[in-house]
Amino acid sequence: MAQAGAGSRIPAEERLFSLVLALLATDAGLTKTDILSTVQGYRQKFSRSGDNANLERQFERDKDDIRDLGVPLETVDSPGHAGDNHNLRYRIPRGAYELPTDIRFSPEETTLLNLAAMVWREGSLSAESRRAILKLRSLGVTTTEPVVGYAPRVRVRESAFDPLGTALERRQVVRFGYLKPGESEAQTRTVEPLALVQHQGRWHLFANDPETSTTRTFLLRRIVTQVATLPATFEPPAPGQADIALTELEAVWNSNTAVVEVEPGTDAATRLEKRRGSSTSAPGTLNLHYSDLNIFADELAGYGPEALVVSPPELRDAVRSRLERTAADHG
Amino acid sequence: MAKQNPPRLAQDKLAFLLSLVPYLMDHDRVSVVDAAAHFGVPPEQIRDAVRLIGVSGIPGETATYQHGDLFDIAWDTFEETDEIVLTNLVAIDESPRFSAREAAALIAGLQYLSSLPEHADREAIASLSSKLSRGASAAPSSVGVEASETDATLALIRMSVEKGVRFEFGYLNSQGQGERRVVDPLRIESIDADWYLRGWDHGREAVRTFRLDRMSDPAMTTKPITHEARDVPLPDALFEGSADDLIVTIDIAAAALPLIADYVPDDTVSSEHDGIVRTTVRVSHYHGLKRLIARMPGVATVIEPAEARAVVQEWAAAGAARYLDPTAPVPARREAK
Repeated sequence: MAQAGAGSRIPAEERLFSLVLALLATDAGLTKTDILSTVQGYRQKFSRSGDNANLERQFERDKDDIRDLGVPLETVDSPGHAGDNHNLRYRIPRGAYELPTDIRFSPEETTLLNLAAMVWREGSLSAESRRAILKLRSLGVTTTEPVVGYAPRVRVRESAFDPLGTALERRQVVRFGYLKPGESEAQTRTVEPLALVQHQGRWHLFANDPETSTTRTFLLRRIVTQVATLPATFEPPAPGQADIALTELEAVWNSNTAVVEVEPGTDAATRLEKRRGSSTSAPGTLNLHYSDLNIFADELAGYGPEALVVSPPELRDAVRSRLERTAADHG
Repeated sequence: MAKQNPPRLAQDKLAFLLSLVPYLMDHDRVSVVDAAAHFGVPPEQIRDAVRLIGVSGIPGETATYQHGDLFDIAWDTFEETDEIVLTNLVAIDESPRFSAREAAALIAGLQYLSSLPEHADREAIASLSSKLSRGASAAPSSVGVEASETDATLALIRMSVEKGVRFEFGYLNSQGQGERRVVDPLRIESIDADWYLRGWDHGREAVRTFRLDRMSDPAMTTKPITHEARDVPLPDALFEGSADDLIVTIDIAAAALPLIADYVPDDTVSSEHDGIVRTTVRVSHYHGLKRLIARMPGVATVIEPAEARAVVQEWAAAGAARYLDPTAPVPARREAK
């Protein structure tokens, strides 16, 4: 976080608040010199004759901080100085800053949104959801208490999530090492991120491969290197990429079917019977859907002798070899 | 609803100021205490913000922050009765828009929750999401979460709470023994695709956490509850350690460490060597451990005690044997196409 220089008595939030107020109040925009010489928090450190390089860097960081909050800080050319960077003017257009007056939320909607924000109380999107709730409360609507207390939570444990989320927003190309099961070395992938989606409790990156112009889905947990963000950017994709990604994952899940025998009364029987899309073809024999053979094989292996895969043969082999491996490792 | 922590970063404080001003504009006179309750912050945080707002403004025509260029408040009222009255306004007329990421977080959260019994219809969710999109300063980034599957059990729990009666169900404990449990439901929690009920367990006379997908034959009873959610403090952690827990040393691939984070005690000292981490996990019973370890073949190995190793070995070997034993009742292969 950018801090005011030593000896300054103007707290950072006062400088940021003053900057937003000043830029909201101007139609024509303010030049950087206008800002640094007159706005509270900058003017105290501005030197009319000297070097303001530190102050200018401070202003650059402040602009990023403000834009991060969704404040549309824009630049316009000064009249008669088109393309002249020294005469760029900064402003916050009121219409793009203010929540339109027709967007208001009922107490019931506000309650739902509070719950939706609570989903992210851990990890990457927690700061965003906290701020969204502040803005919602700004509207003064009181909430209704739900009948049952809920504490929903979606977790993001993969370190790739944050850099991918930022690249997604800035439409930057990313590069990472991806390790497929059964392969001993990670392959380097260079892709355009389109959406981050969670399906069956697992985070996926939906991305475009610019070389083949096809979309691919990557499991975040199989990204084994740091995500590098490249300078190249790409055109904004059509809206609804997250929905497309989820629909594709759902189609894969639907097309993969397994037949599994479960011992009645066991943990495997109770939980697998309750799995989404599970159906019983004969007593103790379940038809199940899955997204990824290796991940499903891990899950089934956990049930030990309680579950026996009948088909498909690849899944049967995968579970069997996993159990043999675990037995050998603990022998 | 959980109270928020006071914002620490200047950025959070700015978001607070920009949200507080329109709220104060809509309320001609509001007490500090009421405003604090509305925003879920300590009263002192409201006072600090009001003191700052009261001296803030725009440079104005003279570029010197003249009186009329600043917000003003009724300072006497503020100091004497702890109430806020704005007497001069500048620059701000309305609440700020959501940022693209803020809107995306709320939209994805709504999507995840869309199967809750509270959500009367999907159309309401869709219209709420589109309102959020229109209320964002840029197109919300593409983050999506599959609607979490909730079955009829959740609706039944909700009905029990509404009627104030105990809820009962068959439940397998981690040792694989089934029994009927009777609970006063306190809170429904979820982690990703998994749903849990926290309730006062009448048999155990204590708070317990249950996985919804482990429940069988759930039913409402007619007996009234004796413990209400507001009277029972629930710790944040879903599963708490107990003094009877068994401590097991394991080796696990560093990349898989987050998968067992819930089982690693806070005071554990782990060491890493060649991408393998040696650490400890806390389990209530080896029968839970064997399931956990068997789900991570080649990734996690129990080191000690020997008894824990043996339990895992037997479990996996018994599973593998079912694929070998010709006498095992393996039916004719039916291909599901």
